[in-house]
Amino acid sequence: MEKEALITALKKIVKPYIQDEEAFENLSENTDFIKDLKINSANLVDVILDVEDTFDIIVDNESMEKMLTVKAALEIITTKLSEK
Amino acid sequence: MIGNDLVDLKLATKQSNWQRKGFLDKLFTPKEQGYILNSNNPFETVWLLWSMKESAYKAFLQTHGNRFFAPKKLACHLISKNTGTVLINNVLFFTESEIGDAFIYTVAFTKNQDNNFLSDCFEFDQPDFETQHSQTYQKVLTAFAYKLKLPVAQLKIKKNIQGVPQLFLGEMLLKNSFSLTHHGQFGAFTIAF
Repeated sequence: MEKEALITALKKIVKPYIQDEEAFENLSENTDFIKDLKINSANLVDVILDVEDTFDIIVDNESMEKMLTVKAALEIITTKLSEK
Repeated sequence: MIGNDLVDLKLATKQSNWQRKGFLDKLFTPKEQGYILNSNNPFETVWLLWSMKESAYKAFLQTHGNRFFAPKKLACHLISKNTGTVLINNVLFFTESEIGDAFIYTVAFTKNQDNNFLSDCFEFDQPDFETQHSQTYQKVLTAFAYKLKLPVAQLKIKKNIQGVPQLFLGEMLLKNSFSLTHHGQFGAFTIAF
């Protein structure tokens, strides 16, 4: 999947959990889920579960540990998709 | 070091579904899942354990390295209904929680802190993020000004690169450990002495 398409899919996933509209509108690779989008840390697990469902992948504990930014999420999704 | 975390239970009901497939497995160790599944009130136990983890993590982050999202590495043990410990990479935190109908509030501290802290919970006029944020900052600055006998106008809070809030007198960083939390209708701060 192209990076742009991945970002679009990820944007759709995080939308229900964001608390900062402006940061969401300006979402880029450097966006931090908690610091920028103000996603509640308990909802970060929903983002991860939604990523698993949407892309049909398993985000293992080690990957989950790093999943704090859009960039990290894209890397993890790309890696897991390539392993399929 | 000290950390705190508050969960607005009404909002938690709306924001999260703890019975969602995979939710408990991603967040809780087998021992913690045992606490939840054997509880008379699993919903309450989920958020009690979560607030223990979050408060200890916030204390941990003040002195140890980088942010991470590994809830199962924050291992909870319950001593009583509202006290417990959280172990993070061999650092042990003690927790004390207030469990009410409206919210669960936990303070986590290291042994040397030995209960020596000031903590205050409050309700917001407006539950929007900006109000929560600014009122929480104002409350803790007022408390620090009183405690340190300094004019509140000279104190400010800035977050460091890890997102940890720090207290400044003008441009000078003060070493006081403190922690802020807000969720929904409620906020709280705690200050270590």
